[in-house]
Amino acid sequence: MTETSQAALLAAAAITVAAPLAGSAATALGFRRGKPRRFAAAVAAVSLLSSLVITAIWSQSDGTAVGFGDRLGGGRFVYIDGITAVLLPYVALIEMSILLVAPRRALGQSAVTRILFGAATTLALFLTSHPILLIVLWCATALSTWVSVRSTPGGMAAARVFAIAMTAATACMAVGTMLLLVDPPWSAAAGWVGATGGWLVAIAVMIRKGIFPFHSWYPSLFSGATMSTALAATMPQVASYTAVRLLIGHTDHPEGVAAELVVLSQMALVTATYGAALSIVQRDLRSLIGTLAMSQSAMVLAGLAGTLPMELNGAFCVWISSGLSLTGIGLVSWALESRAGPIRLDTPQGRFWDAPALAGFFLLFGLAGIGLPGTLSFVADDLIVSGSLDEQLHAGLLVILSTVLAGIAMMRGWFHVFGGPVDPNGTRHAILLRERVAMTVLLATLFLLGIWPGPLVRALDRATGRLLGVSAESTGEHAADGADSSEDLQLFSPER
Amino acid sequence: MNEHDLVSLLVVCQLAAPAATLALVGVPTLLGQPPSERSTSRIVGGGFATAFIAGLLTLAVLASRDFRPEIVHLGSWFSVGHHEATIELVADALSVPYVCFSAGLCGLVNAFASKYLHREPGFTRFFLLLAVFGTGMNLMVLAGSIDVLFAGWELLGISSTLLIGFYLERGNAVRAALRAFATYRVCDVGLLAAAVMVHRAVGSGDFNRLFGENWPHGTCLVPAATATIVSLLLVFAAMGKSAQVPFSGWLPQAMEGPTPSSAIFYGALSIHAGAYVLLRCEALLEQAPLARLALIVIGLGTALHANVVGRVQTDLKSMLAYASMTQAGLIFAEIGFGWRVIPLVHVISHAILRSLQILRSPSALHDRHELEAALGGHPGADRWALGRLLPEALQARIYRIALDRGFEEMVVGRLFVVPFLWLIERAATLERRWLALLGGDPGPGGGRS
Repeated sequence: MTETSQAALLAAAAITVAAPLAGSAATALGFRRGKPRRFAAAVAAVSLLSSLVITAIWSQSDGTAVGFGDRLGGGRFVYIDGITAVLLPYVALIEMSILLVAPRRALGQSAVTRILFGAATTLALFLTSHPILLIVLWCATALSTWVSVRSTPGGMAAARVFAIAMTAATACMAVGTMLLLVDPPWSAAAGWVGATGGWLVAIAVMIRKGIFPFHSWYPSLFSGATMSTALAATMPQVASYTAVRLLIGHTDHPEGVAAELVVLSQMALVTATYGAALSIVQRDLRSLIGTLAMSQSAMVLAGLAGTLPMELNGAFCVWISSGLSLTGIGLVSWALESRAGPIRLDTPQGRFWDAPALAGFFLLFGLAGIGLPGTLSFVADDLIVSGSLDEQLHAGLLVILSTVLAGIAMMRGWFHVFGGPVDPNGTRHAILLRERVAMTVLLATLFLLGIWPGPLVRALDRATGRLLGVSAESTGEHAADGADSSEDLQLFSPER
Repeated sequence: MNEHDLVSLLVVCQLAAPAATLALVGVPTLLGQPPSERSTSRIVGGGFATAFIAGLLTLAVLASRDFRPEIVHLGSWFSVGHHEATIELVADALSVPYVCFSAGLCGLVNAFASKYLHREPGFTRFFLLLAVFGTGMNLMVLAGSIDVLFAGWELLGISSTLLIGFYLERGNAVRAALRAFATYRVCDVGLLAAAVMVHRAVGSGDFNRLFGENWPHGTCLVPAATATIVSLLLVFAAMGKSAQVPFSGWLPQAMEGPTPSSAIFYGALSIHAGAYVLLRCEALLEQAPLARLALIVIGLGTALHANVVGRVQTDLKSMLAYASMTQAGLIFAEIGFGWRVIPLVHVISHAILRSLQILRSPSALHDRHELEAALGGHPGADRWALGRLLPEALQARIYRIALDRGFEEMVVGRLFVVPFLWLIERAATLERRWLALLGGDPGPGGGRS
């Protein structure tokens, strides 16, 4: 990559993070107090555009990772590789959609400040591989979510559950990372200190990702917090990214964390299936979204902890497809709730004729999350099922079972929200332009990536091949210099 | 333009025409500007007409060269390592007549529905779903690889579910739609697993690596063990879509949907989707006697079950649903016996007859009165001659079994559905208690704004 491109990447990365951070500070100081949405959405749009610039520059490059700033344990303050280039616009798009769809009463000055601050810290986390910075940003994102939940009327119970989970996760992450820095388990001479560190980081990832038996905070957050908080806290999947940077891709001595990855993978498979099964019997829409999010998030980790490039590729595709579709469903249900109150699922609620446009969007997002041909989830399911079955039969069967159950739960959700006797005195709710724009953009992304998945899958193939240090022949890539560049990704490598 | 290019263009037309109508109607609807009723039905009908004409032209080209198949390779959809999903279509003696038949039938139902559903609130939704169905059907029929076939198969399932639940305000329609979707979803596991197996066996999903292209005389190119496993998985998948025992309970309930969709789905095309897939993979079945035996047992079992149960139904649409099921069972058995052309002819003739019967069903009383007027009296009760040869006690017992629909739903429910739901309900209750303990307050519905 040329120096000019590197400079452009650095500038774009800075804008991606600085725009929401500056926006947050400005809002906190009272700038545009009357119309915070327009300002916040503009800031988020700038962030999204600059993240897309990173993706564009990256796609033209030779695929070598770029790092800037301090180097500790192999990590860099600013680190951009294929994974960052793919995931950064995804996170920025989610943040912008939340700001566009949020009902007016949920978007006061303090809420906008928190949302933009959360966006900035999340985006910054996706731009670093520095272990200390990762811990700091991990804490910042958790803290921002906790403050939001706490300030939600009636959200104290959820805030308490979240605080318990995040305190444990953050402690494990901080101690574990320090131990990894002291005694990297990827060194052949590593002792019990490094091994303990690996397990602590794995436990932290499990808690933050809501993996069984640490999953309870996930549906609780969706039930107790505002939708913006729940979506912003769960959809980017901060813990998955941390796992990628800290646990996966240590090719010089991969067995250093092999046991941790096996446990992560198996527990994630159990959680994916369990969450999907639970979602079938949920009694309100928010709990349904929470359990589905838990299941999909676990599915991502199950794939990431695999050893085959196809599994990792499938996991990244599930990451993006489930994230966008669940964000869409969350936003639709938020829009619906803001008009007609909480939505139960015990019996069909008959909301179709109240809000037919929202019903259409809900259906499309739902289908886009359960493998509708022509959407990214179809490709994602194909890859993750094939990859899992290639690795272990039981893993493949659990993934299939999980997708079957999630599909049934999703359709039950749609039919129970929109089906059923219609209230003749009900009000018909039109969809607002800003809602339609945000939802259409999310949907268009899902369909575009599903109909034309080649560029995304190729980019991920290259990134996962490098991450696993797989040779060109086995990933189907030509002229790969994966072995060299995979070294760039290894944190805590002994020679550093 | 050479012959290959011409056939390729026509095949793409058969697929693209209904898909384009989906975009033409769907995008404006999504943007809040749905086309008028007349425009909607014309656009969707135009798509089917185009596909039908393109199908006829392809048929003519194929007939002129003794039905030599043509593979249309549209490139790679995506690939990871050695796993490649290709977009490959096939024009041969099976797919092209079937596309003509399905596009023609869809076009006719489109014309019927444009009057039948006039001023119905869900008019645009119906035609959108019909376009999804048409696209899925053509995709499945023209598929030259199992990946493309699976994509079409999924579109059929989704459109079918949404049309069963078309009248969303009716509780029964919602329940029936969910039941059908759950059955489809469970049985789709078979096709998904078969697709993975095929990829593992031959490195891609292309049918021409599995068996020779010359339908119905293709030869199996994979070992017998692989052929048996893939065939059994395909049989499992087909059982759901074609309502074979023990996955048949959803079909009578599926008649909750609008009559035109019932006609095309459960009288004509969707009910035979399983049979089509099995016919497409006949060369694999040739090498899999176990799968053929399963087909015969399942098919004859379903035919017997549906025939007996259908006789005690008290509403016309349920009766027609069981009649469809009977024929689908017989077609399964025919495929199991190793016949190729007979089941295809059976599919097409049954589909035409049954869809006509279902389309006429709303006028059944009127027809009956006309018949009685013409005969000058009651035409007389149906007599099940063979049944009357049985001892009376056995007749009574069979009658009782038929009234309970062969206990199929009860057995499936008690053995699988109820225990599963009980288990996850218990788990959900424990989750709620655990959350209450952690948070000091019941979780669901706690806060939010």
